[in-house]
Amino acid sequence: MTAKDRQWARGFARQAISDLRVREQLVDSKAEKCHRLHFLQMAAEKASKAFLIAGNGHENVKNSHAYIATTLPMIARAFYGKLNPKSEIGGWQVQAIRRYAGEIQLLAPALNNGDTRRDNSEYPWEDAQGNVCVPCEYSFPNIDDRDQDRVIVLLIRLIRQAAESYS
Amino acid sequence: MTMRKTKLETAKSLAEGHFRVDPNLVRVHLIEPIDQTDPDDPIRLLEVVKGTFERGIEPVGFTADPAHGVEYPSIIVEISPEEYKTVSQGKLHFANREWTIGAELAAR
Repeated sequence: MTAKDRQWARGFARQAISDLRVREQLVDSKAEKCHRLHFLQMAAEKASKAFLIAGNGHENVKNSHAYIATTLPMIARAFYGKLNPKSEIGGWQVQAIRRYAGEIQLLAPALNNGDTRRDNSEYPWEDAQGNVCVPCEYSFPNIDDRDQDRVIVLLIRLIRQAAESYS
Repeated sequence: MTMRKTKLETAKSLAEGHFRVDPNLVRVHLIEPIDQTDPDDPIRLLEVVKGTFERGIEPVGFTADPAHGVEYPSIIVEISPEEYKTVSQGKLHFANREWTIGAELAAR
């Protein structure tokens, strides 16, 4: 990795950590779920980007949002794979993170899975019945981001740990 | 004093760990050659994963992590089983680089 790429990776990693801090503040202040998810999506995206820069160089990283779904599970595999075999991390964690990573990727308004998933954490959208849906009023049923959900706790811990490795 | 593991030993250890934690991982190849003389030159692995999105060759880079027995940085390239079938002549091309798909470290 060039020194410049290292700076870029560090920059994205540090911003990801900051995004997670803001997410925690939103949780504490009981902000609507869309805002908590928005900062989770941004943190995941930036942490993933740090790893892509490390692998490709900053200039070669495609300018799109569509990489969380592949990169986060790779990060999970790499980080969990290093742990002692006697640790309790098994296959279900990586599978669950894979599923959540796909949902988090779709929170970006620019990504709608070929127009089948217009729900996003930022802007109102029109659903299949012609209703205008508003993120702050939407339940986002596919992601439980409460602290009681084991997967979200694992995921946030992973994003933070991954970002810290480049910060 | 414990001897530092070679890059090949580390690559095998990484592959074993990845297999242990990801049931979707079906095979791991070393990307060759390995430069044992430069500790900053990453270990490179090709990982074939069921159900991954097909984005072509998009390496992901990881730092060394001596606290967990990984003394060298690493790069993982993940592709689907279908993409694996189409890799021609054992070469991976992206940007202006060409890598050689080497020994298979593990398979399911």
